[in-house]
Amino acid sequence: MLHRISLILCVFLGQTTLTTLTASDQIPGAPQKRPIALVNGVIHTVSGAVIPEGTLIFAEGRITEMGTRMAPPSGADVVDLQGKHVYPGLIESHSQLGLQEISSTRSTIDSSEGGLLNPNVSANVSVNPDSELIPVTRANGVLIAVSAPSGGLVSGRASVMQMDGWTWEAMTLKPAAALVVNWPSGGPSFRSPAAGADNAAENREDPVQSLRGLFRQAKQYLKARQANPSGQQFDSRLASMEPVLNGQIPLMISADDVSQIQAAVAFGVEQKIKVILFGGYDAEQCAELLKRYDVPVIISAIHRDPRRDHEDYDSAFTLPERLRRAGIRFCISGSGRAETWNTRNLPYQAATAAAYGLPRDEALRAITLYPAQILGVADRVGSLDAGRDATLFVSTGDPLETETQITHAWIQGRKVDLTSRHTQLNAKYLEKYRQLAEGR
Amino acid sequence: MSRSVLVLTALIVLISGSVKADETSVPQQPLRSNPPAVFALTGARVVISPEKTLEQATVIVRHGTIEAIGTGIPVPADAQEISLAGKTIYPGFIDAYAEQSLSSERLNGTARYWNGQVTPQLSVADQAVSLPDTTALRRQGIVARLIAPADGVIRGRSALVTTGNGELNTTLLSRDVAQHLLLTVPRRSRGGFPGSPMGAVSLARQALLDAQWYRDAQRAIQTDGSLPAIEQNDALASLQPVISGRMPVIVSTSNEQFVLRAEQFAAEFGLSLIVLGNGREYRRLSEVAAIKRPLILPLAFPKAPPVATPESTQDVTLESLMHWDIAPENPARLDAAGVRFAFTTDRLGSGTDFLKALRKAVARGLSPTTALRSLTMTPAELFGVSEQLGTLESGKLASFVITDGDLFAEKTKVLETWVSGERFEYSPSAAREAAGHYELQLTQAAQFPNRLYLDIRESDGRLRGQVSRLPIPKSGAAAAGDAAKAADKQKEILELKNVRISDTLLTASFEGKEWGFEGTVRVSVTLTEVDAAVKDRPTGIGTVVWIDGSASTAVVVRVDQVAAENPTPPAEAPPTGTADAAEKPAAEPAVAGQPEKAAPKTENKPIAKASFDVNYPLGAFGRPAIPAAAKLTAFVHATIWTCGPAGILEDATLIIDNGVITAVGKDVAIPAGAEVVDVRGMHLTPGIIDCHSHMATDGGVNEATQAITCEVRVGDFVDANDITIYRQLAGGVTAANILHGSANPIGGQNQVIKLRWGMDGEGLKFSEAPPGVKFALGENVKQSNRMDGGGRYPTTRMGVEQLFRDTFEAARDYARRMDNWQKTRRGIPPRRDLEMEALVEIVQGKRWIHCHSYRQDEILALLRVLEEYGITVGTLQHILEGYKVADELAKHGAMASAFSDWWAYKFEVYDAIPHAGALMHQQGVVVSFNSDDGELARHLNQEAAKAVKYGGVPREDALKFVTLNPAKQLRIDHLVGSLETGKQADFVVWNGDPMSNFTRCEQTWVDGRRYFHREEDDQLRQTARQKRNTLIQKVLSSGEEMRGAGERDAEASELWPRIDEYCAHFRHQAELQKVRSGTETEK
Repeated sequence: MLHRISLILCVFLGQTTLTTLTASDQIPGAPQKRPIALVNGVIHTVSGAVIPEGTLIFAEGRITEMGTRMAPPSGADVVDLQGKHVYPGLIESHSQLGLQEISSTRSTIDSSEGGLLNPNVSANVSVNPDSELIPVTRANGVLIAVSAPSGGLVSGRASVMQMDGWTWEAMTLKPAAALVVNWPSGGPSFRSPAAGADNAAENREDPVQSLRGLFRQAKQYLKARQANPSGQQFDSRLASMEPVLNGQIPLMISADDVSQIQAAVAFGVEQKIKVILFGGYDAEQCAELLKRYDVPVIISAIHRDPRRDHEDYDSAFTLPERLRRAGIRFCISGSGRAETWNTRNLPYQAATAAAYGLPRDEALRAITLYPAQILGVADRVGSLDAGRDATLFVSTGDPLETETQITHAWIQGRKVDLTSRHTQLNAKYLEKYRQLAEGR
Repeated sequence: MSRSVLVLTALIVLISGSVKADETSVPQQPLRSNPPAVFALTGARVVISPEKTLEQATVIVRHGTIEAIGTGIPVPADAQEISLAGKTIYPGFIDAYAEQSLSSERLNGTARYWNGQVTPQLSVADQAVSLPDTTALRRQGIVARLIAPADGVIRGRSALVTTGNGELNTTLLSRDVAQHLLLTVPRRSRGGFPGSPMGAVSLARQALLDAQWYRDAQRAIQTDGSLPAIEQNDALASLQPVISGRMPVIVSTSNEQFVLRAEQFAAEFGLSLIVLGNGREYRRLSEVAAIKRPLILPLAFPKAPPVATPESTQDVTLESLMHWDIAPENPARLDAAGVRFAFTTDRLGSGTDFLKALRKAVARGLSPTTALRSLTMTPAELFGVSEQLGTLESGKLASFVITDGDLFAEKTKVLETWVSGERFEYSPSAAREAAGHYELQLTQAAQFPNRLYLDIRESDGRLRGQVSRLPIPKSGAAAAGDAAKAADKQKEILELKNVRISDTLLTASFEGKEWGFEGTVRVSVTLTEVDAAVKDRPTGIGTVVWIDGSASTAVVVRVDQVAAENPTPPAEAPPTGTADAAEKPAAEPAVAGQPEKAAPKTENKPIAKASFDVNYPLGAFGRPAIPAAAKLTAFVHATIWTCGPAGILEDATLIIDNGVITAVGKDVAIPAGAEVVDVRGMHLTPGIIDCHSHMATDGGVNEATQAITCEVRVGDFVDANDITIYRQLAGGVTAANILHGSANPIGGQNQVIKLRWGMDGEGLKFSEAPPGVKFALGENVKQSNRMDGGGRYPTTRMGVEQLFRDTFEAARDYARRMDNWQKTRRGIPPRRDLEMEALVEIVQGKRWIHCHSYRQDEILALLRVLEEYGITVGTLQHILEGYKVADELAKHGAMASAFSDWWAYKFEVYDAIPHAGALMHQQGVVVSFNSDDGELARHLNQEAAKAVKYGGVPREDALKFVTLNPAKQLRIDHLVGSLETGKQADFVVWNGDPMSNFTRCEQTWVDGRRYFHREEDDQLRQTARQKRNTLIQKVLSSGEEMRGAGERDAEASELWPRIDEYCAHFRHQAELQKVRSGTETEK
């Protein structure tokens, strides 16, 4: 204990920069130079079996080998884990990390562009790499997070970000993971597109028609632009829809109510675009629909109240297990409860789902492998497998338990500084009380 | 002309003789009008009172009053005789409450109360400038109504006014009948004080105290002429009859809890209370009955919840379904419980459904005797006009209702309403009257038919119809024909368009195409003998204008009359006033000669009773009663986290008896007769105590309008119906500190509650907890994050510090003044000031401060000011920079009630760190982790674990952060907070280590009662589901109109937030909710 505190103190004293609003003090890790071998650890691959007394080797930012009691390659840095646990970096599938610093101070917020339709904006370009929230988040094992724009009807593109890097470009793992759409509720019923209205974009009376109008106009725009480039002038919003219409970017549609979910899925089918649901409170009631069209659900959040007074007190706690039993693909997000500033608490929400029925290994997958699959980054992160990014951490136990400490982390093989504004202030005031005690 | 206007004009007043008392100061203009004003109503069944009915009686009316009444009374020679054979006369009905906005501008420049919400001196009788139209009410048999001022908290005085025509000179029955109070404010009425329900009650309380002071001061001055005069105040003067109990006070309520609150308020000041009810009294029937106050009940019953589609049903709560199902029985249940009440048309819209709703109440069990009394005698007594109204007796006003049968039978119609001798006669609705079959005998016109048959039908006041060249079969017979015939008929029978009736003119049109002439044919008929009872007699003359403009004249014969309109009296009306009259609805006698009209609607249709008993609170997860207290019970083989000196005990025993812990330990002998519960593998901990909560209140959380509002009390608005209580029980919470919000430096008084789910608001209060008050510092109180920018003092932390000093000095001055008076009793008695009284308690250390605080500078500044005044702070709330001055906190004796790990939701919490709890704990500060959030409170055990993670607090001590330490902070640790002998049996049974995130709360006990149990919860949810399904089916089969998608049946109190909306992180949450749902949330 004392040893650890003094270590932290050293780190703190070694940095002379004062904490300011604009930059965190943590220095991004340098690119991996030599292979690193983690030995004598319990390796939770997530994708496969747990490897006890395991060795995990990564080089040039990628996992190369794993096994039991394997000899580390020559020239490798060897880290003896002394029985500690290795996990793939946890993934928060929806947040405003880097887009918001202080949620009540407007000047620090860049998550919500004006107007209803912003398909062209992309979150990653305004992620602040020096946000104080980022070191706090990754210190608890959340090494990957989606930064998602919010607001309006079409909020913009959500990006999968790594929680370390000198620039947003270095942090970006996938710039356009999904186009964020907020499905309206209580609006006019979902109608067939046959009912004309070509000027439907920004139709505030009927947001669904605005959405449909955007897609219809975008298709027409792309056709016209190809046929007659000089006749059809440039339009940012419509031009940005091309990869969406091509099916390269799925829609992440925020929907909780049955009617919203049904309409959102039907819209995706109609537009022949893959849909990811975000929220998904009533998803169990739409099981057949979701399975038929293979629509996954980002559950948001576990720590939330039942939406209606007559519902079971634990309805949000049991939602992942109910979806699992119904055969619906899902992952768990803490968004909406643990706000951006407490994205670090993601594993505890997964734990609560486990307390209320979800098998524990599934709870872990729900914040690692499953979000990676749903976000289309499973070839890079989400599990410990040879060839995947060395984006992983070492802990004293199950990261879903609060008392567990995270001791090491790497992102693409770069060593992560686990200190933060919080550990620094803690160290500073430990020093105050040390001085006081000394003076007594 | 719109259809609705036509329907309105269908209400025809045939005669409106002005026969009021003829003594008047108003000079008559030539030519003088003196219609005869003496009547003898003979042969009627006269309901004298709910208990007494005379058959074949005569009523003599002379100049607006009843001169005589009885059987065998001779008709005076000067009387106009009106034969009412077969008719029934009832005493006129009194609508016991209606609202009218008064202008408070007339108070400008007068000696009024400082707050514009207190206008007791306003009187409806002074401003009856534009009373709402009474036509519809009269038609419902209403002869008088109480009109109350519509605005403010202490609103002014009502007047009882007849529904007759004319100026107030003749219609005013009684002025200043009652004073009217609304002990809340409408949501979003934010402007000045009060801006919350809490504030409204405080204002009313202070105003009544001021009235007492005004009285006492006046008396003192009268006794001792040398004393200086005090202020003149019309408001306080006009409250004198109220505080002396001479003038009744009518308090408006929006749910059953407000009824009980009104009683508390009235009891505090010895008021003569009449409760304006709300239709939800059945939810706390015995408590409402126990207050023994009369009620004025609305008859507006809820519309059916929208269950037409599975999607819309999703949002329909069991509570709203049960409300729909039970509410019509509210009057009957109150009657059975011995509550006396009158009725009001309030909330019924135009009031035209008054009798319909009344009949529904009777059909749902209200005895006709009570129903009639509630319409007549009870309001007359309540309003002190029994000499004039309420029963039919000589000397009383000639205000009565004449019907064609038993008032409570569905088809009975009001034929006449007499208001103080003024006679209003009604024809039945012209639209309904016009329905029927007509034969039009036409003068020949070229190729056009010479006979037309019309079939006119009415539904909901609208007319539709068909036309044919052949007689149209009576409705119902149409189905008989075979397919071919049906096809023919389709060609032969054409739909009429634009069917209208205006007074006596029936008009319609149709397209002649099917009959071989293309174009529109117009038909108009003047009905000359609508009332004719004789079949096949010409009933009118009409015109048919053909497509070419040529016209045929029509002699119109009504080929059948609608039986229901037949004025033949029922041969045998069921006796009114017998309890069983409702059980067997009036057998409508078949009218001879009209067998096809079998009065299907009034058939003895079985009346559905409410399907389920009331549970507490109403809806899902309520119980029939609170759980029974366990007798002597031993929990054995448990891991017990005592949070006391005994520490954590493995394989230990906890014994409780009648709400109290009698033993806890490893080697505890199990007493004889104890019930033994084996909880092997389970962990027992003290109940979780949340030291910062805003649940279970509908008082608005923040009285944000002033910098100092310590007179407002969260305890005035404990909302026992908040489902959050049950949900938090399911997370192990047993007690919570319900705090005022953080909008002002000195906020309102907090209320500590126990989570006794199912008890009423008073029952939830943790009565042993000492009083407290909310203080707040920083951004919220200096209004930095408010959209309106604030502007009220203070706007800096410097100003906040000064405000405290200034206020404490004022409190000391006040205390000295009061002490002096107590000692000398000389001079003018000082005015009691509730805000000052609370402040005196604060400076005297009798009321604990719970101060919202973040930054170390403001924390230290507060502590220093308090220390100067010798005050120890109760708790510092949030206290997110407390770790920077933990040593100072410890020195002061300040305890810290914090978030475990919140930060960065506003600038002043940018330096918040999760290690704060540990740092403060290590410096000797008593630390708790709180929720400030209805959801977070459901897993405060997980929060406690963060003290272990961040800073290494021992696990045993960490659990105390949510058990013993908050108990210490609320000064209830001698009662709860640890599992020790003699303490209250508040504890939680967990299925594992309570510090593990994988652990679940299995049982939660409060006062030795098991308020939550996973297994019982499972039954409760099954029951709720079954009830919900049953009631959904019931709605669907009822055919009743359902609420629209956006329509809510929420009552006002549900609109108030249960969060501190000035706490910035909630704004973000609300925004998120808004984005998600696409709707604006209440925040």
